[in-house]
Amino acid sequence: MPNRWKIVLAAVLLISALIAFAGRKTVHAAAQAPSARAAAPAKSAASKAAEPGALFIPDTILAINSDKPMSERVVHYEIDAHYDAKTHVIDASETLTYHNLTGQALDHFPFHLYQNAFQPKATWVREAKRDGSRDTSYDKWEANEYGSEDIQSMEVVGQGDVTQNLQYIAPDDGNKDDKTVVEVHLPKPVPAGAYVQFKIKFRDQMPETQARSGWKRDFLLGGQWFPKVGVWWHGAWNCHQYHATTEFFADFGVYDVKLTVPQYEVIGASGVEVSNVNNSDGTKTVTYHGDDIHDFAWTVSPRYKVREATYQSQMGPIKLRFLMQPAHWDQADRHEKITRDTLDRFEKFYGPYPYKTLTVVDPEPGSAAGGMEYPTFITGDSSWFAPAGFHLVELVVEHEFGHQYWYGMVATNEFEDAWMDEGINSYTEVKVLDSILGKKTSMLDLAGITLGERGLQRLQYVGVADRDPMAQKAYDYSSFGSYGGITYGKTASVLLTLEGIVGEDTMDKAMRTYFMRYRFTHPTKEDFLKTLEEVSGKDLRWYINQAVYGSQVLDYEVRSVTSFPADWYEGKKDDKKDAGKNTIFQSYVMLHRKDDFVMPVEVEIKFDNGEKVREHWDGQSRWTRFSYLKKAKVVSAEIDPDHTVQLDRNNFNNSFVVEPNPRPANKLANYWLFVSQWFGQAFSWWAV
Amino acid sequence: MTERKNLLTSGLRMVLNNKRYIIWFWLLNLTLAFLGTVGFRAQAHDLLDHHLYSVGLLRGWDMGVFTDLLSLPEFGSSKTYVNTSAGFAFVFFLFTAMLLPGVFQGYAATYRLPREGFFRACGRNLWRFLRLLIVSGIVMLIVTGVLFAIQGALQKKAEESTNELAGPYVQFGGLAVIFLVMSCFRIWFDLAETDIVLNDQNAVRKSIWAALKHTVKRVFRLLANYVVITIVAAVILLGGIWMWNNFIPTTSVTRAFVLSQIILFLLLIPRFWQRGVVASYWQQYMLAPPVPLRPIITPPLAPVVATPAPEPAGSAAPAAPVTENPSEPPQDQGSGI
Repeated sequence: MPNRWKIVLAAVLLISALIAFAGRKTVHAAAQAPSARAAAPAKSAASKAAEPGALFIPDTILAINSDKPMSERVVHYEIDAHYDAKTHVIDASETLTYHNLTGQALDHFPFHLYQNAFQPKATWVREAKRDGSRDTSYDKWEANEYGSEDIQSMEVVGQGDVTQNLQYIAPDDGNKDDKTVVEVHLPKPVPAGAYVQFKIKFRDQMPETQARSGWKRDFLLGGQWFPKVGVWWHGAWNCHQYHATTEFFADFGVYDVKLTVPQYEVIGASGVEVSNVNNSDGTKTVTYHGDDIHDFAWTVSPRYKVREATYQSQMGPIKLRFLMQPAHWDQADRHEKITRDTLDRFEKFYGPYPYKTLTVVDPEPGSAAGGMEYPTFITGDSSWFAPAGFHLVELVVEHEFGHQYWYGMVATNEFEDAWMDEGINSYTEVKVLDSILGKKTSMLDLAGITLGERGLQRLQYVGVADRDPMAQKAYDYSSFGSYGGITYGKTASVLLTLEGIVGEDTMDKAMRTYFMRYRFTHPTKEDFLKTLEEVSGKDLRWYINQAVYGSQVLDYEVRSVTSFPADWYEGKKDDKKDAGKNTIFQSYVMLHRKDDFVMPVEVEIKFDNGEKVREHWDGQSRWTRFSYLKKAKVVSAEIDPDHTVQLDRNNFNNSFVVEPNPRPANKLANYWLFVSQWFGQAFSWWAV
Repeated sequence: MTERKNLLTSGLRMVLNNKRYIIWFWLLNLTLAFLGTVGFRAQAHDLLDHHLYSVGLLRGWDMGVFTDLLSLPEFGSSKTYVNTSAGFAFVFFLFTAMLLPGVFQGYAATYRLPREGFFRACGRNLWRFLRLLIVSGIVMLIVTGVLFAIQGALQKKAEESTNELAGPYVQFGGLAVIFLVMSCFRIWFDLAETDIVLNDQNAVRKSIWAALKHTVKRVFRLLANYVVITIVAAVILLGGIWMWNNFIPTTSVTRAFVLSQIILFLLLIPRFWQRGVVASYWQQYMLAPPVPLRPIITPPLAPVVATPAPEPAGSAAPAAPVTENPSEPPQDQGSGI
């Protein structure tokens, strides 16, 4: 009996200790929250923890302007990281709680180890060397380009140490030297609906910035820096290797991250800052909390100048934080203005931004850290020389903010459907920037030289129009150029063209519906395409099959325009003056579909009496001919007179004007003449 | 002692007194550049004249349309057009080198140098200039290469700095230094060219050496003149482009052409002004002082001897050196160039 009482007493004490420990660990973020609203769900989390030994994902709302969680939270990452600014090494411990919502028992888990991509034999570097990349050409391997992410130990709570079970896998290309995915087999499967907790110790050697992660001088962008579990998607683990053209894919959840860095560093990160404590060793520990996000990034630099502001969004206030380079401080206004304008347009066009923070980082000049998106955290791209009329600052900030929607909230699979984040984002970039900076000047408006965003997107695509379909795995494109041109440029052009087919209002409605329906989920391409069809009420398969799933090229031309007197055989001349006012002319306009993309088009034919005629051609045959018998000759014919078909590869041959207009060519030739003369003078100036 | 003239004003006076050279060089520059752009012009007309899309290049300058044009396979390789224009620019350089002796001769003359005199100077100095060009080309290429290498290394170092502006400062500072150093070299070889022509110096090395000595001796004065003139050139170019951008409607091709040619015409003046400066300098500092003429004293006639013994060779009194004075007009003053 006494023994039995001892056992009961020990069990009670153990349960009490577990409750106290679990409660402290999981509610600490909420406990430090300034608002009472955030504390309530924390209690709810604590109540779950009341179950002995229970694991759970907290339902905190500290970092969102919402009274309840907005996503189905699958993961909870608790990371305690120490950054050595001299060696660029991160030593960290990570506790990952995973909720098995797959509906089946899981006995193995894959993890991304992205920093291992930056090694000479890794798939990322191989592909970058072969096809080129945005940042590095790898003419020769530099030691500072090396990055690594080593798991030093892994324990599964309740199952013991599983470090020995770790095994690198290469599901995409079988590259045995690639260590960007590691898999662990568990001694006991995790039942459906259950939780599992991993305790991981890892060490990162950060590379000099590559793929928007790493250090440059005394700056660091901590992106893709911790072991991250794959996504169970469509009945299997989805955990691709890191490729030179791919980005990421992860489940939503909660992040509690402690970053210990030197005290002189200015720090910024995803989520909300919940504490900032100076340590006795000259370091400080800053703690961040993020809700309903699927990644966590951070940055430090001792030289950031900080601007803070508040934006009142549809769901509540957003704290805007701009970390600017000192030499760009005069551009802080531009950064803030475009951020505010973009927030305004996105909320109007697509839906609310629910997070309480947005950090905009102006990264170290010369680093490969510019133009990147992480949840509630983006990097811009600026320079000490940034003329106001060259809207690169605006473009990058807008684009990366757009990813808060297309990637951040609508979390598509960036490995497999890059067009769904980059491309849809490029389309909304056109819409948003056009509305802020003007349709024809949204990219460039400098000394009379102009370029609109839609023009820029189209230009990206026309050079690689026949290379790859949009619906292609991001790592399967024929080249880096094709990946960029198709995922960004073609997708934007395809959606702008679709806007012409279904109407702008319908398209706007469809995009909003898509966002609101699929935010905080992982939609597929068909989810998106079916939403477009559903909202438009049209069967768009004829278009989708060619534009999205196919690599057909669209190129229509006005092949010929001819007019002559109907009774020419009576000797009447083509010239109207000679022929007489009442002469009836026989006119022909011939249209030609030069390539294999079939699409109905409009054509506008103008006559010399001012009359305009619009014709419709279904484009099914290779060519068609319109004929007219009028007291007027054809002046011009133009395919797509409303300029809605962005996909047409050659815009010049879309029209034909009978009377030549030599002025554009004269102007162009005059410019070239000027440059040639000046070059001759300048050369002679120095040479003789 | 001769009164020293201000080099800038005297040099400019020489240029203004010989405006016809500028006009001819401008015409040459225009003609050659026109020939160099004929293919481009024809292709542009072929591709643009019959299409509404090309209006984007007329009303303003739509970079989308322009880039579309460049990417058309029918447009051909941009490299071809660049190479053709560069080829004709090189021809302009050759013409300049060939005709420059005539210009120097004309600048030094106090009269309107006749066409024959101009071309005589050109022909007489062609081979000398060629030799000088080879020497100057080698020297300037080496110096430029070394300077740019140093600048590149410094810039790379500066870019490692945490001060972002260090890189641009080093870049622009370096370019300024390169400009100043290369201007000194330009002064040196301009003086050598002047000396070759005006001193009728066949030994090019002597002119190079003399010019080097003078360049070193008065480098700051000469350099200041050159820098001032270069600033004038920069003002002409930037001011002209500013006017072009602000006052010429984008659709007005004719007005744009006229203004562009005015800019290019005016841009020729500064370089000729620099040559005027060195010509003036040569006259003031490098021209050998005229040897005073001594009266030729004819000895009184000796009584005629029936059979005089022949004089030994070389015993005659040496003739006074004669310096060809370029300011003395020749007999024939035909029409000048």
